[in-house]
Amino acid sequence: MASDREVLREIWEGKLPVCFQLHSEEVYALQAPDPYYLMVPRLSYFPLVTDKVRKHFSRHIHPEKREAEMWLDFNGQPLKWHYPIGLLFDLQGSDASLPWNVTVHFDKFPEREILHCPCREVVESHFMSTLKEADALKHRGQVASSMQKKEHNQLWLGLQHDKFDQFWSVNRRLMEVGSSGGGSSSALSGSGDEAAFFRFVPFRCYVPNLEIPYRQRPIRPCAEDGRCRTLGDLLEELFPEEKGQTGKEVRVVTHGVEPPKEVPLQWLSEHLSYPDNFLHLVCHVIPVKRLPSMSASSSSPAHVSSE
Amino acid sequence: MADVAVGKIEDNEISENNVDGVVNRTDTTSNQKAETEKQKIEILLKATGNAPIMKMKKWAVDPEKKIGWIIDFIKRYLNLESSENLFLYVNQAFAPSPDQIVRNLYECFGTDGKLVLHYCKSQAWG
Repeated sequence: MASDREVLREIWEGKLPVCFQLHSEEVYALQAPDPYYLMVPRLSYFPLVTDKVRKHFSRHIHPEKREAEMWLDFNGQPLKWHYPIGLLFDLQGSDASLPWNVTVHFDKFPEREILHCPCREVVESHFMSTLKEADALKHRGQVASSMQKKEHNQLWLGLQHDKFDQFWSVNRRLMEVGSSGGGSSSALSGSGDEAAFFRFVPFRCYVPNLEIPYRQRPIRPCAEDGRCRTLGDLLEELFPEEKGQTGKEVRVVTHGVEPPKEVPLQWLSEHLSYPDNFLHLVCHVIPVKRLPSMSASSSSPAHVSSE
Repeated sequence: MADVAVGKIEDNEISENNVDGVVNRTDTTSNQKAETEKQKIEILLKATGNAPIMKMKKWAVDPEKKIGWIIDFIKRYLNLESSENLFLYVNQAFAPSPDQIVRNLYECFGTDGKLVLHYCKSQAWG
């Protein structure tokens, strides 16, 4: 794992330029306020980076709304604060250009579409819960539950304050494989091969325009014969209906890039997971012409934005 | 002992008092509903801490129902104020997000053909 530390850093440093603008109907002044520009970490969450945005716009709205909860939308679609920012952007696919134009609201909170976020503690408990869920899949929850409170804090503070070393000094334990949970690893299932693999790969697969927010399945990073399973294997299991004759292809975007289908799942999980320890994969199911699939990558919505 | 009866959470039962969103949803997915009718997922609701127990613990729910919906259902069943907190846990380890759907949790954490969810009125497992 150490050999690919550079990848972890690149992922950590991915940023997006965002242009925040107050919704025109909420302007309570003669002139609309200036937009507010920010470079935000892809791995962070909007409530952690928008204090200044709130301050900037709250002077320009109706006085009664100044204490109201701020929320954001893109193209009329409310943005879920509990998704990492990079995932929210990837979900927009090729609809979004840079800087990303996000609209700010203080009024008409869309109760049915997004969750309330009254304070940072809510983000923290959401983040920690998701991380524990990931560990339940990887290590039966044994690593997360054996950590001390201060280690949990270190993960959260590292993310909140954009401190790579602080975060990874604890997170690497969550990325260990084998008998890291304290108990005997042979309690798992059978052969010694599992030492190099997580039990399951924590991932969420988002298919835009689907009724359900995402699909999540228990998928093992290694096959029964000990072979590494790949992203392509995961897609086949998740989208059996797209396999073979249907002439459809599934394209996966995460962190603004399209990882090759032959990447082993274990490597993907260790290196391209978000800080909550999940892989957040945006899957576009697209029809393909009966041409070599290589040509399909030209319209890729990938934006790599490190620095 | 809890294996006696399996309750069915029916859409209309719940939607009476719930506003438009839920009703609309069932309207638009009525075709799908017929398909998934037989594949409901069995959940087992266990009280923990100071939470009152439910007489009926086993329920069959639509796989696409969200955790937030189940929390509301338990609150109604127990006659709790809607402002009261109710926390749900999987594996006694983590609290799933309110917008997570039952099917995802069942697939990943279900055991013996059902999904066990613990509920309590104060935060139990961090």
